[in-house]
Amino acid sequence: MLKTFTLETDRNGLYDITPLAEATLGESGARSGLLLVSVPHSTAAVTVVSPWDPLGLEDVHDELCRLIPTRVDFKHQHDTPQDAAGHIKASIVGHSRMFYLEDGKLGLGHSQKIFFWEFDGPRKRTIHVKVLPQ
Amino acid sequence: MQEQFEAFCEQTRSLGELVKMESDAIAARARLLLRMEDVYAVRQIILTGSGDSYFAALAAAPALRAWTGLPVNAMVSMEASRYVDNGRPPRSGRNRGLLVVAISSSGEVARLIEAVQRLRRFGALTVAITGDNDSRLGQSAESVLNIAIPPAGIGPGGRSYVASLLGVLHLGIRIAEMLMCMTMDQADRLRRDLTLLNEPLTRLATLCVEPIAKFVRSWDSVFAVDCIGSGPSLASAHYAAAKLVEAAGLHATAQDAEEFHHLNYFVDDPQRVPAILFAPSQALSRTRTRELAGILPPLGRPFLVITDAEDFAPPGRSLVLPEVHEFFAPLLHAVPATLLAAHAALHRGSVHFRGLTGPWRGAQNAVLVRGSAIESGA
Repeated sequence: MLKTFTLETDRNGLYDITPLAEATLGESGARSGLLLVSVPHSTAAVTVVSPWDPLGLEDVHDELCRLIPTRVDFKHQHDTPQDAAGHIKASIVGHSRMFYLEDGKLGLGHSQKIFFWEFDGPRKRTIHVKVLPQ
Repeated sequence: MQEQFEAFCEQTRSLGELVKMESDAIAARARLLLRMEDVYAVRQIILTGSGDSYFAALAAAPALRAWTGLPVNAMVSMEASRYVDNGRPPRSGRNRGLLVVAISSSGEVARLIEAVQRLRRFGALTVAITGDNDSRLGQSAESVLNIAIPPAGIGPGGRSYVASLLGVLHLGIRIAEMLMCMTMDQADRLRRDLTLLNEPLTRLATLCVEPIAKFVRSWDSVFAVDCIGSGPSLASAHYAAAKLVEAAGLHATAQDAEEFHHLNYFVDDPQRVPAILFAPSQALSRTRTRELAGILPPLGRPFLVITDAEDFAPPGRSLVLPEVHEFFAPLLHAVPATLLAAHAALHRGSVHFRGLTGPWRGAQNAVLVRGSAIESGA
């Protein structure tokens, strides 16, 4: 089962998309197996972060931006400096995450949520969630 | 005479297809024209040209100003060639953040070539928007945005004006996108909106003919024309006035809508001086242009308001075009402006550029604008 969602980002940073994964899982009726969250973009990614402190989410984003700052001298000049930096960030973080399913629940811990990570917003984005029942 | 009229009309009918064919291609060429490092060093932009090319600069300047947030000034080539930073030492640092965009379809206009050569020596970043990369202008600038278009017989230059406008607008969108003043999606929407102008442009060529023919039919005793507009539409006023001079030999002037109240409002013999007002209904100047449309009837002026809303002008006095953003309106305005000139020339029996004969023979082969001595000092 594959579900496709759209997300209109209004900034760069992390967006909690766990409810999308849980809704898809619930609709599928699967009790065990795997669930894939994937984004068809090259300047956005999927990751897992603790959601409890919003400032912690900002720290995660800020730190990646510190490691890969937006610069004007990237060789990739086709779009924008933010886009060029976004390609690198997205490739490091990865465009998808896989989760196991057990008893109809996602294999996530108490302090783990699934986040869409925008590196070149605001943009209209797509999120795919696929359930692979066992 | 009829042949000239048909050529003008045919040119207006070709503009929609021109935009459809060329807009995306020009946008693609604009994409990698400038390096990111250079764009991020730009602190001000000068758009310059002469004649129609200056009008293209004037039309685009407000859009580039809004999109990039940079100071953007449109200026005639004489201003750029002789008066910008006159007397300052070359490479003094003053011009390092200056981007000069020089517009000329032929690329052979002497004063503009002089401006680019001089400002490049001063350290400015120079871009030519031209249809000929091998022209003197193309060879003088560091980068060239090519706007070559398929030829379309004799005509008033509407095709090169539209291509120039597309060039400078697409360059502005790209600069704003590079500076991240707008998102890539917003930039793409603007690019798409520009290309989609082909449809209203095509419709306009037919829609405008009869109202303009009717308006010009009463011009038997006309000896001068005022063309009025503000912001981007001031460029349309200039363009319309220029076409009336070139095609019909009429003394036509362009004036800002505010300035009209201070100046040409007082012209004597108002019944013989028609006014043509370019007034998009959502323009930033709309309250003033609406006031202006109200003061023309008591003056006894023949007038036509070129707008995009039925209720913007007194009934029977408006030509209503499809509504587009004020920044893009000059592209549509090229159609009624050209048709006004075509009908006026037909009505007066005038030959374009007076046939470049008699007292006007000195302008043959564009020698007046191409042959002027280029000063290499400064």
